[in-house]
Amino acid sequence: MLTRIKGGEIVDPVNGRLGKGDLWIEDEAIVEAPAGRRADRTIDATGCVVMAGAIDIHSHIGGGNVNTARLLLPEHHAAHAQRPAETPLSNAGWSTFQTGCLYAKMGFTTVVEPAMSPGSALHTHLELADIPIIDKATLAILGNDDFLLSMIRDKASSQMIEDYVAWTVGSSRALGVKVINAGAAAAFKENVRTFSLDDVVPSYGVSSRKIVKTLQAAVTTLGIPHPLHVHCNNLGAPGAADTAAATIAAAEGVPLHLAHLQFYGYGTEGKRRFSSEGARLAELVNSTPEVTIDIGQVMFGQTVTISSDVMRQFTSRGTASPKKTVIFDGDGNGGGIVPYRYRDDFYGSVQWAIGLELFLLINDPWRVFFTTDHPNGAPFTAYPDLFALLMSRDARNAAAANLSQKALALSTLGSIDREYTFEEIAIMTRAAPAKLLGLKDRGHLGAGALADVAVYRKGKDIAQMFREAAFVIKNGDVVVEDGAIKNYRWGRALRLNPPPDKAMVRRLEAYYQERYGLSLDWFDFPDSAIRRDEPFGEVSCNA
Amino acid sequence: MAVAWIGDRDVPVAQAAKHAAGLLVSSLSPVFSFDTDVHGTRAAIALAERVGAAYDHIGGEALARETALFTDRGGMFIAPGETRRRADVVVIAGSLPAHHHEFVGKLASTIPDLGGGASRQFFLIGAETRAAYLSKVKPTRLAVTGSDVGGTLAAVRAQCAGRAVAEPVSNFERFAKALAEAKFPVFLFCGQSLDLPGLEMLQGLIADINRKSRASALHLPASESGWGSTLASTWMTGFPMRTGFGRGMPELDSWRFDVARMLAAGEADLHLWVSAKTSVSVAKGVSTIALTKGKKPVAGAAVTISIGEPGVDRDAVAWSSRIGTLAAVKAQAATDLPDAASVLRLIAEHLPDGKALPC
Ligand SMILES: [Zn+2]
Repeated sequence: MLTRIKGGEIVDPVNGRLGKGDLWIEDEAIVEAPAGRRADRTIDATGCVVMAGAIDIHSHIGGGNVNTARLLLPEHHAAHAQRPAETPLSNAGWSTFQTGCLYAKMGFTTVVEPAMSPGSALHTHLELADIPIIDKATLAILGNDDFLLSMIRDKASSQMIEDYVAWTVGSSRALGVKVINAGAAAAFKENVRTFSLDDVVPSYGVSSRKIVKTLQAAVTTLGIPHPLHVHCNNLGAPGAADTAAATIAAAEGVPLHLAHLQFYGYGTEGKRRFSSEGARLAELVNSTPEVTIDIGQVMFGQTVTISSDVMRQFTSRGTASPKKTVIFDGDGNGGGIVPYRYRDDFYGSVQWAIGLELFLLINDPWRVFFTTDHPNGAPFTAYPDLFALLMSRDARNAAAANLSQKALALSTLGSIDREYTFEEIAIMTRAAPAKLLGLKDRGHLGAGALADVAVYRKGKDIAQMFREAAFVIKNGDVVVEDGAIKNYRWGRALRLNPPPDKAMVRRLEAYYQERYGLSLDWFDFPDSAIRRDEPFGEVSCNA
Repeated sequence: MAVAWIGDRDVPVAQAAKHAAGLLVSSLSPVFSFDTDVHGTRAAIALAERVGAAYDHIGGEALARETALFTDRGGMFIAPGETRRRADVVVIAGSLPAHHHEFVGKLASTIPDLGGGASRQFFLIGAETRAAYLSKVKPTRLAVTGSDVGGTLAAVRAQCAGRAVAEPVSNFERFAKALAEAKFPVFLFCGQSLDLPGLEMLQGLIADINRKSRASALHLPASESGWGSTLASTWMTGFPMRTGFGRGMPELDSWRFDVARMLAAGEADLHLWVSAKTSVSVAKGVSTIALTKGKKPVAGAAVTISIGEPGVDRDAVAWSSRIGTLAAVKAQAATDLPDAASVLRLIAEHLPDGKALPC
């Protein structure tokens, strides 16, 4: 089937295509304008912006901790009004089914769940397989697991550590590796309550820094396209900017991705000893080219924080609103669920401003990624409003007028004039994520790319434009029209598939037998356990 | 071998499925109860949405209490692997169902290898019986004369906090000393022998301990398939079980959608039963569709379709308390009996809109 998207304003920074024109799709792929052929279907994109489908690199959409958060908060999603059931389970509140539909309506076609516990990979993939329309991917968590910490303590060879990382990524069907407050979850089990980059995990004598550097080296050597994804120590603490700065410095010329930097942008200035270090961190990112970051923007309202940083979640359980939490000591990281309401008071205003400072003061849209750390800073449904804040200084000023002026006085936000262009939005939310994750088939509109396309009707209301895409095309299917789901389909989970090292498998089998009294088979599963046709799509490692 | 019946007449499966679909369509208040794996659950919930049914786990009382602990309060929990590797004090709160006895026995025959604990001591809160599985464990019993598990837990918590109690807990000194020296005490619990206040009291005790040191609770579900179904229900609908689709969108109500209660109260006119392990007793005046494993039709059922048992006849995905998450289970002795999910999908294909289930 040949499709022509006619007369839209094409925004494709990768291929240098900016301006009015047609986009042609044949079956699942984008093609050059075919000479002498008529389209089977023509989509009128007059007055619209045409971009590749958006890619979210960090959004907690499925897996054990996300599901526990649902379980903890039935009231969070009980208040949905009944709508006609256009798609299966579309009236379900905060469900996997709704997640796929809501993302698709905003023109997102690929979303990464960034915190998969490798031991419960099957659960995570079962949830992801029930998220319709979009493609998914996961990052496997390492860095608090006894097997790795023991290897580092015992000075195992880097080859052996690489074999373990490769096995973990392959067996859990992950696209990359994440480390979350490296060493802190293990230390918390031994009753340590604060943990920083140069603190040492009891019983192992291994520092957080050493864990991060070890994993960074293994990920790089293995050719895993996505750099090690780091959730730093001291998240949320006043003064955490120092920890973030030290972690940025620890990149040492090798690619490193820092997650939700906003949550570390806190200084200790002012009467309340809570201030913005957004400008300082942005400057550090600007001058450290091997570092990429995503923001974790805070937007106001009720949400729930879901994190595998169990120490941090334990510490913040007193802030829970409503007053109930789950703290889980898992095999590696575990995690914590703390419901939270971001208020437009002093603290909330500081956090909001820091996120925007980072967005606007980091110059290179290829190195800053658009996230709210869903749902930690805000649910992903707040994205349209966040696009408006980035693209319009007036929208920012209007929003800022309702916030704590004392808080805003401690940030540089008011002095920033920058407005993101469509081209920069396309880089930040399409081209750069594809590059960062090693997804060569998407993020652009060149011939041969996967036909994942978002068409937005231009208008004065930027948020509305991004809230309900005029058309969204996934693998060549029109899945959204005028903000409504038109076509239900099942995406895949994108994964790497490095071959397992046989000696490592034998070691792990012996380890699980001895330490858990279980065969390694317990943690493995065949693709058929997912019960979808082609549940996975393979992505190759760098040569 | 016949595998499907309309009444007591054996028919092809497709014909039974079609008849079942007709009954579902004409029902004003259908209810589903199931005891199946994750994929059976997914298909059952997708079908429940299609026909506006309420659904519950078979014998879901204890499960509903465990669920309520999460929906009402939350708490601190630990993985079974970490329990085995770290727990130097193990406290069994109440009694545990038989399917967890092997794990407890394994705890008794091992010692911690992480966290510095050198041995493992066992305590038993409140339970009156000396079950056989505890003979290896040799627990020290904490009890209060005339109190149940919940009452004993309350007294333990009070004494731990230094508060006066009317009736002291037996062996409390020993327990206090063990707690003071412990690196990581773990409390094993199940909704079968604790009511919701008891479950919450246990979490209160654990929260108290965590002010200064570490402790957590290992959830050993009353029903493993029930907990697996709870997880699948939660991701699919946002809600755990005892959810109904009567008004189109899912609604959670652990009293209203208690399917056994609905049947007893005459609130349901159709009952879809899904379990290869147990057979349904047909309620009077309720047309019953039984998906169960048997060579004969269920007496009184309008439709019976024989299904394979998850993990026995068919590969399955099920909750495993040994690893604390969902596991892929290979069929022990694969047969041709269809699994619950495929029968449920077949029924859905005969509904008027003819659309396939999303699961
Ligand atoms: Zn995150």
